[in-house]
Amino acid sequence: MNDTIWKPVPRSVRKALEERGVPVQDICSLSVADMNNDGGLQNIYLLLTKERLYFAVSDQSGEMTYAGAVPPKRRQSEGIAELHTYPLSRLNSPKILNQVVGGLLTVDLDGEETWLCRFSGTKMHRMQRFCEDMQALIRSEPLKERENDGEEYCPQCGAPYPERGRAVCPKCMEKHTVFVRILQYFKNYKLRVAVMLTGVTISGLANAVWPYLSGSVLYDQVLGGGGELAEKLGIPGNAMLLLLILVLTMAGTHFIRHLTGIIHGRMTAFMVPDIVCKLKQRVFDSLKNLSVGFFTRRQTGSLMQRVNGDANEVMGFFIDGLPYFLFNIVTIALSVGVMFSMNWMLALVAIAMLPPAAIVCYVIGPRYWHATGRRARTVRAMYSLLNDDIVGARVVKAFGQEKSENKRFDKVNERVRAAEMRVVHYGNQYDIAYSLTRDIPNLLVWSVGALILLNTPGNFTYGELLTFVSYLTMLQGPLEFFSDVFRWWASSMNSAQRVFEIIDSNPEIQERENPLHMDIQGEVELRNVSFSYEPNKPVLKDINFHIRAGEMLGIVGKSGAGKSTLVNLISRLYDPDDGTVLLDGENVKDISFASLRGAVAMVSQETYIFMGTVAENIAYARPDASREEIVRAAIAASAHGFICRLPDGYDTVIGSGGRELSGGERQRVSIARAILADPKILVLDEATASVDTETERAIQASLEKLIQNRTTISIAHRLSTLRSADRLIVLDNGKLVESGTHEELVKQRGVYYKLLQLQSKALAMRGIE
Amino acid sequence: MTEQTNPQDIRPDTEPDILQQEKKAVEEIIAIRTITAENTIFCRTEGGFVRMEYQTPNGERKTYPRVSVHRCFPFSDPDHFISIREPEADGKEIGLIEDLNALPADMRAMLEEQMNLRYFTPKIRKVHSIKEEYGYAYWDVTTDRGACRFTVRMGGSNVYAIGPNRYLVNDIDGNRFEIPDLYKLSAKEIKQLDLFI
Repeated sequence: MNDTIWKPVPRSVRKALEERGVPVQDICSLSVADMNNDGGLQNIYLLLTKERLYFAVSDQSGEMTYAGAVPPKRRQSEGIAELHTYPLSRLNSPKILNQVVGGLLTVDLDGEETWLCRFSGTKMHRMQRFCEDMQALIRSEPLKERENDGEEYCPQCGAPYPERGRAVCPKCMEKHTVFVRILQYFKNYKLRVAVMLTGVTISGLANAVWPYLSGSVLYDQVLGGGGELAEKLGIPGNAMLLLLILVLTMAGTHFIRHLTGIIHGRMTAFMVPDIVCKLKQRVFDSLKNLSVGFFTRRQTGSLMQRVNGDANEVMGFFIDGLPYFLFNIVTIALSVGVMFSMNWMLALVAIAMLPPAAIVCYVIGPRYWHATGRRARTVRAMYSLLNDDIVGARVVKAFGQEKSENKRFDKVNERVRAAEMRVVHYGNQYDIAYSLTRDIPNLLVWSVGALILLNTPGNFTYGELLTFVSYLTMLQGPLEFFSDVFRWWASSMNSAQRVFEIIDSNPEIQERENPLHMDIQGEVELRNVSFSYEPNKPVLKDINFHIRAGEMLGIVGKSGAGKSTLVNLISRLYDPDDGTVLLDGENVKDISFASLRGAVAMVSQETYIFMGTVAENIAYARPDASREEIVRAAIAASAHGFICRLPDGYDTVIGSGGRELSGGERQRVSIARAILADPKILVLDEATASVDTETERAIQASLEKLIQNRTTISIAHRLSTLRSADRLIVLDNGKLVESGTHEELVKQRGVYYKLLQLQSKALAMRGIE
Repeated sequence: MTEQTNPQDIRPDTEPDILQQEKKAVEEIIAIRTITAENTIFCRTEGGFVRMEYQTPNGERKTYPRVSVHRCFPFSDPDHFISIREPEADGKEIGLIEDLNALPADMRAMLEEQMNLRYFTPKIRKVHSIKEEYGYAYWDVTTDRGACRFTVRMGGSNVYAIGPNRYLVNDIDGNRFEIPDLYKLSAKEIKQLDLFI
């Protein structure tokens, strides 16, 4: 155990510490800060024994290596410049003060609040644990046993994972394994793939035969009056018949090419949509299984791009790229072979120009692609600005800022223009250089060929020269292809990597093996629950409460006090960092998702309307609900009135692309959804926040009916919403500060009492009620 | 709305009191309190923080054993509008320093010290390489604090302009790096940054 603790410390430092009398065997917690007091990069080693804190400053200035980067080789010579020791008896209440970047480790040293060291964001996670350990040691409590979630380095290459808590090392997830995995998707199409590949090969062959027929055979054999070939075929001297045979053969090769083309096309058309669809389905399946945390960490846009664009990108390469790869290899091999067999000297001349062509493609090509990439980015920027302006048109007009918006647009537009110019510039450059490398070998072949013809007429014919040039021209296409194919391959593999990353990622919230399937009655208990979205920023601290089945609990607190987070834990959208959430006495982690989701329904402040009709939206949780049930639910949520007034009634299509509902209307639809779901535990998270008072009263009345026989947890700013609650809890800054019945809280004269008086009296004074 | 409280719960004599209090609290929230050398004394604590003694506009003397110092315009105007706040994460503002340079040098130094702790942002002097792979870009740079290697998530706005030719880079650990002037870098370096800018 001791060895794992020492992992981040170089051996030389450990030795230096030992020499200075630090009892290295007794160290029970350890952490490394990465800067000195002035913010210079320097390692500071913090070590804890049961009695002391050791604070050792490295004698070398450091390098900062953050997650995702491979750490530099550890210096053998690193030692300790300074060593400070603090007995734990002098220290008290260690904590981490968050800064804009990183934090400060702070303790009360002899009663004076003192910061010991500063560290960057990279060290935050470790430091926080260290701080917890210090707290425990000061209080002489045992250190907390932790699951091994802190594995930060890839076991293969030693590089830190780019994202903590997700053990995926992009460097070690090799490209060829990705390639093989994609091939798996073609498994069901073995026959089709074989047909397609054979077709491509035949088409490559037919393609390569063509110049020979149209050059050598036509000129030397047919026009030459029927040479050896006619003799071989048994029709000596009969040029007309030979011509006929030639034309038929040429037509035949053409026919074969087109036929294989059609076969290829059909196979592609059949396989691609199917495989892309399967791949997308897999991505989507995994996306749904991922926990809410995954979605909040990433931008929706990039996720959508992954589901869609990446799958297409991957398949594009496999369907278009790979077969053409084969096709081009066949073409090149045949062309070069034929050229050498006809005249090796000329062939050498022709081949000699290939390397420069490749260099041109390699040097100028990337510049061109780079420019196009840049153009794409500027165009995107322009679109987002346009979007901004169109969506915000009301504000722009209201503040009379049309002119400045025009200016803003001009700027972006100018950038698009400049990027476009660059694309044209590099495009031209590329074209010119490329045609040079194409034309020079042509010219060379023509002239060298002509020289050979003139000097040694017997060895070489006009027809052969023509054939030669045709083959040379034929090489251009494949060369161009190969200059680009590596980039294509790389970007396709990147896409594949991203796709698999989602498919492979483990949801943070997982159903246990053999979970409990149970009919939840609605008893809820939280025991010592703490939770934070980010390290060292606790949202909930040590929350305890118990709700009997059928009770209604009201949660009161300022915005940001942790109310919504609390209910998210009950429906297990997140798992608590510490403590347990129990439903009917069972840990929610043990309960099957089906039982859990069936028992808990939530009406939250962010209502979400799916694309579909009003009826479908209400019946979201129970698609089999009858029309009668839907209408009853709508009436109970006092949504029936406005729905009937819609021209299409319950069949009105709402959601994106459909009719827009107002905030209050959306809220009522989502309340109807919850009513229809008929859950044992109903969570109302500011469910009536965006409706007017009158509607609220109506909903309130229906909710009162709804909350009978079920556990209800209701969050509200307006205390009037909570009047039917059996008990209330008051959250402040993540802590449960008051709990009890309305009467008890009023007697306590605390936070709740104050809020209550303020709300009722302030309204009364303004003559609202 | 009144029916949810039983009348006997609220004693009439406490009513104006609590409203008065709230009014005062609201006024306090929206008031602008300027901190100057005349009404405030800052001093360094043993523990490396700053202690503050402050005389409120209505003559009250208040002592804060530790204050936190925030810049309102960390990029565009770092020396003006310095917000002195209670140290808790959701602490209230104690007052605003409109011009840091108007304070005596020792006070200014003390506050700057605190702000240096808060805004740790190495300035990128040289870009050695930026490699993009699988949605992350791996940067290898030299900063004014030394060599730094870090990872930036692609896509999204992890590199953004904070002024003309001035950029801020956010890495995946929440560290920040600044490019003070893009055009002070070489053409080759700028080209590497092209992915982001």
